[in-house]
Amino acid sequence: MSQTHAIESRTDTLTGTGIPSGRLGVWWFLASEIILFGGLIGTFILFRHGNPEWVAAAEHLSLTIGTINTFVLLTSSLTIVMAFAAVDKGDSRRMRTWLFLTILLGFVFLGIKAFEWSTEIGAGFIPSTGGFWSFYYAMTGLHALHVMAGIVINTILFISAVLDRLKPHEYRIELAGLYWHFVDIVWIFLFPLLYLA
Amino acid sequence: MAGEKAHPNYVAVWFWLVGLMVASVAISLFHFSESATVVVIFTIAVVKAVLVALNFMHLRFERLLIYSLAIVPLLLFFILTAVLFPDIASH
Repeated sequence: MSQTHAIESRTDTLTGTGIPSGRLGVWWFLASEIILFGGLIGTFILFRHGNPEWVAAAEHLSLTIGTINTFVLLTSSLTIVMAFAAVDKGDSRRMRTWLFLTILLGFVFLGIKAFEWSTEIGAGFIPSTGGFWSFYYAMTGLHALHVMAGIVINTILFISAVLDRLKPHEYRIELAGLYWHFVDIVWIFLFPLLYLA
Repeated sequence: MAGEKAHPNYVAVWFWLVGLMVASVAISLFHFSESATVVVIFTIAVVKAVLVALNFMHLRFERLLIYSLAIVPLLLFFILTAVLFPDIASH
C-alpha cells in the first residue's frame, strides 16, 4: 500500500470501496468537471475545424503571455504537491510555505490573465467580435473561475494551518491538490487549442 | 523512509512538463504542415496531462474505481465529439 493511502486511512473515513471518502468524493466531482470542460472543448474543436478562418483571430493572442501563464500554472502544481509531500513528512512549516506559494502563483496567473484580457478588449476583441472570441472568453473565463475557486480553497486551508486548526485534517491538502491539478490539466489543453494550433 | 519511497520525484516531473511545454511552443513556431503540427502538439498535451495525473494526482497508486472515474467521462467526451464531427465540422 502506498503512503498516500496510509495517510488518509489515519485521518479520513474509508468508504466501502476501501478508498477514503474525501478522495472518492473529489474524483466524482472531477468526473463531472471533465464533462463540463469536455463539452465546451469538444464544441470548440468542432467549430474550429469548421471555421478555418479562426486561425487569423487566434493570431491576435499573445503566445508569450500564454506560455508564461502555462509555466506559472505548471509550477503551482509542483508547489501544491510539495505541500502534500511536506504533510506526509510531518513538516507543517514547509507545508504552509508551499501552500502559500501555490496561492501566490494562482494570483499571478489571474493577474496575467486579467492583463491579457484587458489588452485584448482594448484592441476591440470582445465576445461578440466573432465565434473564436466567444469561445476564447467562455473557456478561459470558466477556467479562471476555477482558478479563483482553487485559490479560495487553498487560502482556507492555509489560514487553518496558520491558526493550527488543520492538524487533524491535513489530508485535505491532497484533496485540494487533486482539484488544483485538474485545473492545471484543463489549461494544458486550452493552451495548445487557443495559442498553438 | 516509506513515505519518501511512495512519492514520485515531483521536481523531475515538473522539469519534464516545462520541457514539453517549450517543445510544443517551438514546434508551433516552425511552419511544418498544419496537420503534423496539430498532431504533435496535442500528443505533447496528452503526455503532459498523463504526467500530471499519474504523478501529481497519484493516479499510479489508485484503484480501478478511481481510474474509471477519470476514464469514463473522457470516453463520453471522445464519443460525443466524434459522433458530432461529420455533421458540424463539414458545414
